[in-house]
Amino acid sequence: MKRFKTLGLFLILAVTLLPALVAAQITGPIVSVADLEKNLTNPNVVVLDVRKVEEYREGHIPGAVNAAYGSWAIKKGELLNELPSIEDLSDLIAGAGIDKDSQVVIVGKTDTVPDQFDMTRVAWTLKYVGVPNVAILSGGQNQWVKEGKPLSQDMVRAKAKRFRASATGNLFVNKAYVTENLGKAAIIDTRAPAFYEGKEKLAFVPKPGRIKGAVNLPVGQLYTPEGLYKDKAELAALAQKAAGTDLAKEIILYCDTGKTCTSWALILKDMLGYQNVKIYDGSSMEWLADPAAPSEP
Amino acid sequence: MYLGYVVDQELIKKDPHFRMGCVFCHKGNAKEMSREAAHKGMVRKPSDNLRSCMACHKKITDNYAKSLHYTTAGLRTGVMPRFSKEELKIFDEKVFEKSCRSCHASCGDCHVKGAPVSGISIGLIDKHKFVKKDEGKTCAFCHGGRVYPEYTGNYGGAPDVHYQKGMLCMDCHKKEEFHGDGTAYKTKSEVKQRPACRDCHKPGNEAKLTAQIAHREHEGKVSCYGCHSGAAYRNCSDCHGGHAAANPGMILGKSPRDKKTLTTLRLIPTVRDTFLPAGIKMEHYDVLPNYWDTPAHNIRKRTDRTRNCDVCHVEGKNFLTKEMLIKDGSKANESLIIVPKPINR
Repeated sequence: MKRFKTLGLFLILAVTLLPALVAAQITGPIVSVADLEKNLTNPNVVVLDVRKVEEYREGHIPGAVNAAYGSWAIKKGELLNELPSIEDLSDLIAGAGIDKDSQVVIVGKTDTVPDQFDMTRVAWTLKYVGVPNVAILSGGQNQWVKEGKPLSQDMVRAKAKRFRASATGNLFVNKAYVTENLGKAAIIDTRAPAFYEGKEKLAFVPKPGRIKGAVNLPVGQLYTPEGLYKDKAELAALAQKAAGTDLAKEIILYCDTGKTCTSWALILKDMLGYQNVKIYDGSSMEWLADPAAPSEP
Repeated sequence: MYLGYVVDQELIKKDPHFRMGCVFCHKGNAKEMSREAAHKGMVRKPSDNLRSCMACHKKITDNYAKSLHYTTAGLRTGVMPRFSKEELKIFDEKVFEKSCRSCHASCGDCHVKGAPVSGISIGLIDKHKFVKKDEGKTCAFCHGGRVYPEYTGNYGGAPDVHYQKGMLCMDCHKKEEFHGDGTAYKTKSEVKQRPACRDCHKPGNEAKLTAQIAHREHEGKVSCYGCHSGAAYRNCSDCHGGHAAANPGMILGKSPRDKKTLTTLRLIPTVRDTFLPAGIKMEHYDVLPNYWDTPAHNIRKRTDRTRNCDVCHVEGKNFLTKEMLIKDGSKANESLIIVPKPINR
């Protein structure tokens, strides 16, 4: 009888707590402030703050570890936002207490347009080197503060994990690969329409224009007026216009430096189920500097 | 409403600096009702006179009065061998006191309101709080031309590995370096409390055998920066008299202070006509080089030089050569050139 009572109690507890546990799981690439808050005590979740050390020290999400964006994407020659060496990435990731089984939630700031995409670029890099479960905080640190959530000034020293980075699949591709696949893969330019149309360009991009045959899917369409990610149905409708409905089709995204385009890449791959999504990180900076690379208009 | 003023009652209650009222530091007359009369005799930057802080912080201000941040003696020591006796007199009167000394930091420059650099200031660091330290604002503003952006990676390349691990200036540089220890040093190389890589990284404790061997082989021959400086840093070839020129570069050569050691060199902007407006030709210009050993704050565990011995020993990449020397530079520059030797394999 006593055994039945214990079993009954266990079942009641399981039925009561299970929905809470399920609700606390992180699913998909975009996490809301509320969902992250529920997961702060989840031992498998690593909150990775990619803001500058100075900003992190001023106040961060309790328990978050810091590894500033500059360590994840570096300037190489003339090109911005290039991948660091694989050994440096191994040290960085292991030192932040992350391994292949971690559920990482990346937090950055959203003060300026370029800042906004630090999170997705780091997410894409983590996936590239073998950390598959990666998400970003919708609205970043700014949204956490806006919603009045607690901040900590404790310097969190992560317990280093054993992790050796290795390139997984072709999440990043180079100019030669793009050239070879022109006309085969869908090339998506994620810059604002004026840049796509060749009416404007940033100072460090050698000339106006786009990769020949590219279609436009601007990053500005990802967000609500409040700066949060739109819901899945809205994003799917936008994506289908540019990428079509064939989820197996190869898609190569680019922008000016290989950073902002990672936002759509993450949404396409991890939210909408497109299976073959790649980033050309040389992007317009490299492509438009080469007179032999086909461009338009 | 401008939020930078001291209007926050909570702050006034918490911080003993405000208990004596504004006039204790800023002078003026709190009893006067008209703006003009109340501000008569007001001192904008009270800590420009160390006595303002001395009343409560005597030990610190006594030391600070002799520290290099206050005396800026390093600037004088660094350039004086280029002058004749007569020129040094002119320098001291016309240049050092009026120009170099204007760069000294007062207490308030680090703890309340950023110092003006080329006429620009960051303003109050955090309203009118007396801030213990805020390296990203205070250190970064005065040292923002060279050291700080190189450290954070904003000058190109990856950030210094120490920044990557969350460290800021005062995690290595202790407060005695800023406040001084009571000794009036002539140059920072004399300061005993300077940080050294070996304070934390003991030779022989390396995880990899290759690193152990590399460190042992280069012991006393190459500085840590020589191999571990990770990216090009700013080299200023001219920045006086309203004109400036700077370029990124990494330069390896003999340390002018220790000719046995190969290290990172930085081009320093004292050119032949730097002090001509003050009537100083620099009679002994050629006794000092234009390149000086620099503790480049862009340290990386791995660099192209740590990865491959041939980068130095075969290619001689980044090594100072005769062809690289600045035009019309000091004759002493050539003495810093070192030709790397191939390894006997």
